[in-house]
Amino acid sequence: MAQSNVLQFSGHQHLRHRLVLSILSGKPVKIDKIRSDDKNPGLRDYEISLLRLLEKVTNGTVIEISVTGTALLLKPGVIVGGTLSHDCPLSRSIGYFFEAIIMLAPFSKRPFQLTLRGITTDDHDLSVDLLRTVTLPHLQLFGISDGLEFRIKKRGAAPAGGGEAQLLCPVVKQVKTLNFVDPGKIKRIRGIAHAVRVSPQFSNRMIESSRSVLNRFIPDIYLYSDVYKGDESGKSPGYALSILAESTTGAIHSAEAVSQPGVAPEDIGLLATRALLAEISKGGCVDEKHQLLVLLMMVLGSEDVGRCRMGPPTTRTIQFLRDTKEFFGTSFKIVPAEGADETAPQLLYSCYGVGYVNANRSLA
Amino acid sequence: ARTSSGRPRRKNWMKLIYSSTLTPEQVLIGDANAESAQKNIEDEDDFFQIKRKSEPEADETLDRAKNPLRAEELQKWGDDQLLDSIRNLFITGHDHP
Repeated sequence: MAQSNVLQFSGHQHLRHRLVLSILSGKPVKIDKIRSDDKNPGLRDYEISLLRLLEKVTNGTVIEISVTGTALLLKPGVIVGGTLSHDCPLSRSIGYFFEAIIMLAPFSKRPFQLTLRGITTDDHDLSVDLLRTVTLPHLQLFGISDGLEFRIKKRGAAPAGGGEAQLLCPVVKQVKTLNFVDPGKIKRIRGIAHAVRVSPQFSNRMIESSRSVLNRFIPDIYLYSDVYKGDESGKSPGYALSILAESTTGAIHSAEAVSQPGVAPEDIGLLATRALLAEISKGGCVDEKHQLLVLLMMVLGSEDVGRCRMGPPTTRTIQFLRDTKEFFGTSFKIVPAEGADETAPQLLYSCYGVGYVNANRSLA
Repeated sequence: ARTSSGRPRRKNWMKLIYSSTLTPEQVLIGDANAESAQKNIEDEDDFFQIKRKSEPEADETLDRAKNPLRAEELQKWGDDQLLDSIRNLFITGHDHP
């Protein structure tokens, strides 16, 4: 019996959400052929670090990694949370870790107060600014709100990092069913520009170039120049513009661009702005970056039909939908959304929630 | 295999996702890899073969939430006409641009 319910996967891809699904569902997971054909086979340091972090936030989790590092077995324990901290390797930003943790934190025994240290903004993962301003509001859609907070204590640009951020996440019994089908119209634009260990003027230059494009659309634009000095500004120079557009119904589209060598701050500002416009033009209620989080919470929702209007699934989302079916037996109904045109194809995702109840929660 | 090249056909997402063996990439771009797979088989007549990965050697596809920004592709948003075309998505715009 013990062996029969182990779910089996292959390859290094999609590792993160498979581990999360395993812990939430309580089903052990075995993953093999992790870069077995690679010149440098096995798990990467950030993946090992993620496993260690998952071990930290849970109790009773058993993780076995093969000698070569190309296979692993995870027997999930219970999510306990509490006050914890973790140093992340500099190969990935702390967003990589927070993205996984945010999916688990609401179902913990104790509220999360997790501090992660490392790189706070990079090209691959959600930056601390987007986590704070975009990801957390997505949790609020599901009734996770009281005491939900994200604090950026220190910034840390690549490659040396030195940043620090803390997630405070309350514990819920159950998540609410989502019914989010009206994307509304964009009513305001907010942005955060930061520049560490370079001239603080860089922030203003990004903001100015962004405004030159956005001013034509709406008056309610506030782009904030976030100043971090001294010890709070990390170990490496860098700057970025994170920008978001909020609609009348609370749909949030976001984009950001991070400094690159040899590119002027004005161009970074433009890049972020144009990426935001591209996101807005795709429409829908949830942007691509948050498809996984929203779909997961819909699966876990109370036993009712949850609905959400979004763009087409990304490759990650497609695999996530398949894996979710393996773990929870839930499949989504995905049909073209009403009134969606050819230029911005939008889909209506609906599913019957499994009525996930947080059994870890301590009754106090 | 070129029947669908003209207009964008409507995908049956549920069928593609839940009851096909296509990889997520194939689901998105359509199953265009069937031909190249055929070609590989013909090449293999030597006794020793170099083991090739299914994908051309490139940077490993990272598990990342943000898609890389393509500056050239985003260049089009410098065009006033395109900018005006999304005015209707803002509260200040009208329903029919």
